[in-house]
Amino acid sequence: MPSTPDALWYKDAVIYQVHVRAFQDSTGDGIGDFAGLAQRLDYLQQLGINALWLMPFFPSPLRDDGYDISDYYSVHPSYGTLENFQRFLEAAHQRGIRVLVELVLNHTSDQHPWFQESRKSLDNPRRDWYVWSDTDTRYHGARIIFLDTELSNWAWDPVSKSYYWHRFFSHQPDLNFDNPAVCEEIWNVMKFWLEMGVDGFRLDAVPYLIEREGTSCENLPETHQVIKELRAKLDQQFPGKMLLAEANQWPADLRPYFSVGDEFHMAFHFPLMPRMFMALRLEDRKPVSEIFKQTPNIPDACQWCLFLRNHDELTLEMVTDIERDYMYDEYARDKHMRLNLGIRRRLAPLLENDRRKIELMNGLLMSLPGTPIIYYGDEIGMGDNVNLGDRHGVRTPMQWEGGWNAGFSSADPEVLYSSVILNPVYGYQAVNVAAQSRSPHSLLSWMRRLIEVRKSTPVFGRGSIEFLYPQNHRVLAYVRQLGRETILVVNNLSGSAQAVELDLSPYRGSVLIEMFGKNPFPRVGALPYLLTLGPYQFYWFRLRRL
Amino acid sequence: MADESILSDDLLRQLISVGEVDVVVGLPTHNNAKTAAHVAQMIRTGLLHYFLRQRAVILNVDAGSRDGTRELVQAAAISDARDSASLHSLRTLRCISTRHVEGPGQATALQIILASTDLLRARACAVVSPASSSIEPDWMERLLRPVCSENCDFVTPIYRRNAFEGLLITNLLYPMIRALYAQRIREPHPADFAFSGRFGSHLLDLELWRNEFSRMGAEVCFTATAAAGGYRLQQSFLGAKGQVEQQSGDLVLAMRKTLGALFWSLEQDFAVWSASTEPHAVTTLGPEYEVTPETVRVNRKRLYQMFSSGLAELEPVLTSILAPTTLAELKHCAASGDDTFQYSDELWVKTVYEFAASNHRNVINRDHIIQALVPLYRGRVHTFLGHNRGLSAQVVEDRLEDLCRTFEHLKPYLLTLWTKQEGGS
Repeated sequence: MPSTPDALWYKDAVIYQVHVRAFQDSTGDGIGDFAGLAQRLDYLQQLGINALWLMPFFPSPLRDDGYDISDYYSVHPSYGTLENFQRFLEAAHQRGIRVLVELVLNHTSDQHPWFQESRKSLDNPRRDWYVWSDTDTRYHGARIIFLDTELSNWAWDPVSKSYYWHRFFSHQPDLNFDNPAVCEEIWNVMKFWLEMGVDGFRLDAVPYLIEREGTSCENLPETHQVIKELRAKLDQQFPGKMLLAEANQWPADLRPYFSVGDEFHMAFHFPLMPRMFMALRLEDRKPVSEIFKQTPNIPDACQWCLFLRNHDELTLEMVTDIERDYMYDEYARDKHMRLNLGIRRRLAPLLENDRRKIELMNGLLMSLPGTPIIYYGDEIGMGDNVNLGDRHGVRTPMQWEGGWNAGFSSADPEVLYSSVILNPVYGYQAVNVAAQSRSPHSLLSWMRRLIEVRKSTPVFGRGSIEFLYPQNHRVLAYVRQLGRETILVVNNLSGSAQAVELDLSPYRGSVLIEMFGKNPFPRVGALPYLLTLGPYQFYWFRLRRL
Repeated sequence: MADESILSDDLLRQLISVGEVDVVVGLPTHNNAKTAAHVAQMIRTGLLHYFLRQRAVILNVDAGSRDGTRELVQAAAISDARDSASLHSLRTLRCISTRHVEGPGQATALQIILASTDLLRARACAVVSPASSSIEPDWMERLLRPVCSENCDFVTPIYRRNAFEGLLITNLLYPMIRALYAQRIREPHPADFAFSGRFGSHLLDLELWRNEFSRMGAEVCFTATAAAGGYRLQQSFLGAKGQVEQQSGDLVLAMRKTLGALFWSLEQDFAVWSASTEPHAVTTLGPEYEVTPETVRVNRKRLYQMFSSGLAELEPVLTSILAPTTLAELKHCAASGDDTFQYSDELWVKTVYEFAASNHRNVINRDHIIQALVPLYRGRVHTFLGHNRGLSAQVVEDRLEDLCRTFEHLKPYLLTLWTKQEGGS
């Protein structure tokens, strides 16, 4: 790690999201582990990423892929030990890779000892660690998130003979953050991992921490207060560490999670993601430029987190009904691809394995204002398996090579936590790291170059953005600026070649330097700047006064 | 700009920006400030409502308006309709505008719309009259859906009309085209219509753009070309048609635009119409016709006077156009006086057919031929109004059906006149 850490390091980060279970199995039991992950750090370093987001790796009955934690102070035995984790953490830091741990605060597994105690009796000391009720009619203003599986946010507990509150699966009871003891214990959990050396947390499902009658039970002021208190302790005791919010909300509702810079450092820009896919299919910049119009300014020290795909479905909660229908029709005609209010598919299949589209979308990811996150496997164009239940189809083993189990594990294939992708298009024989590492023109090689160029300037991570509105609405163009450095980004969202005239009059006299080939383009003159772009092509230009 | 260019450099630049689209809506304007903004707004609303997912562009082609029409259209077409959630647009809906210098005629505007549609590779294009003040958003659906979803090539409108409105159409264009082209197209000179990209490309290549008459009445040529070329036709009921203030002298212009274009088409399509047989119905979305029987205030006496004086004044010209028996019969009718004057269906059809054949033979200047028919048409209108006064809409419609059958019945007569000339030349 740098000897003089930059407090705003997360603004320059390129984050790689990985599930320990899915990345590399070192023991031959068919399940990825920390020792395996450590073995693959060189690969990640070569890819160019400088932060890892680890999905929950805590002990868990794994009824929700680890998002049902039964012990916050340990590592799931399948993934190794705390010692394995520490070794991995040190190895990552040695390579300049920061590690973000995902914490699920809102709820635990119903197998967590806290819940087991809580349900035992009304006078148990941990009774108030969860939200109990004699009826299932309270908080009826709260929506049900997992529409496909849950009928209510209340579940009957036959042991306790009362109802408990759960915003997600019924086996995930919500913690009661009105109880100061719960808040204190959660801080103890965070402190435990911070002291071990982790660089930050991705906090899951933060809008739902507090419940109040007559509200949607989302984004309540009391929830913000809980976060402020955690942040204050973090800044005081562990400066330079970072909090990332998972709050699937509209930008205006997300904005309070930054507050005045005293809540989260970063938050996912959920509404942007589906609109990038929408813009591509519509061949029209409108969805993207409009969502940025609706995106409020955030404090200087804060940052949006951008992503194309992740471990969940491509969520369509933050779109209108018309937009959702369109997205379903265009990206998930097969009903198997739909889950809850989203589409459970990986990047490459969503984009029909079109290399040009994949490059364009990654180009947008890396050049729009925010910190980009790459979901494991998307850098090589891995496919998915919609026949696996829930979201398991996008969580299959990493494809390292064309040999046994894709190089993921030496176990018998039947033992793997999940089958590898086998089909002729996306199967591991066709799509794998080893093959792509040998080709300078592979998607993987291209991604390495993209990340390298992205990291060559702080403008993308920290600069301002100004959208240009050329008459050609198939072209999305914007200027990123930081200090005296200016970068022009021009994206052709359509599958046909486009000509575009850009008003670059504020930059008259500048020479455009294309950032990948470093070739100069003609100087900006008095007339609109004419560019032609091939199908789905994009340019990044550094504007220089030469 | 090269001499042959249809599209100005400025429009071309705008079209490049728009790129490929699914739907074009052309709005040709010339000093239509009173209605054009409303029409543009309805077009926009219709596109957002019915063609939410399609790539669409509104193309205003203005013939040099001096009343701010162009600016009003621009403002209306980009106005934010997002106050209604149902009108939220997925895409950018562009409205582009161009100005041409060739006066208020429709031909140049239509040619620009066709060329733009072709360049943008649009699947469908609707052309809407800026005077269509009664336009509703669902006109977009009714005009464009048959093209977009049912592979139709040409969609003509059906309006709710007064039985005594559009008499040039009901007494001449409709029955004649029906008889000759064997297609029952109620509005062969449509103000609002739609066409497929395929048909539009064909129209763009036609000779009609190089002939004075066919240019003036390009819409009639479109109809005839569609009927003759085996293109898929459909009619869509659009409801009431907005009234346009008529100006004196419009009749001569209207005859030039419609009959001149029809006569031009007959020359092009002889092989088709000479072989066509029983007219068949055109698929219609909505009622096949809808008329209201309101009485109209027309000075029939004045019509008769214009007929008889025209007949007398133009006798030397008519002698070269009409058969001696027809002319004699007309003179006999004229002599009977205003009260008993009757211009029968059969005599009217013979008159029209003889004019068509004379036009084909080019016996005199073709513009003079068209103008010579004007007073005779007035005589026919006099009779039509007198015969149908006070009758129900259905009876008027039945009588128009009789007229159509007379046109069909006498088609061999036209063929004889036409081919007789061919043999003699």
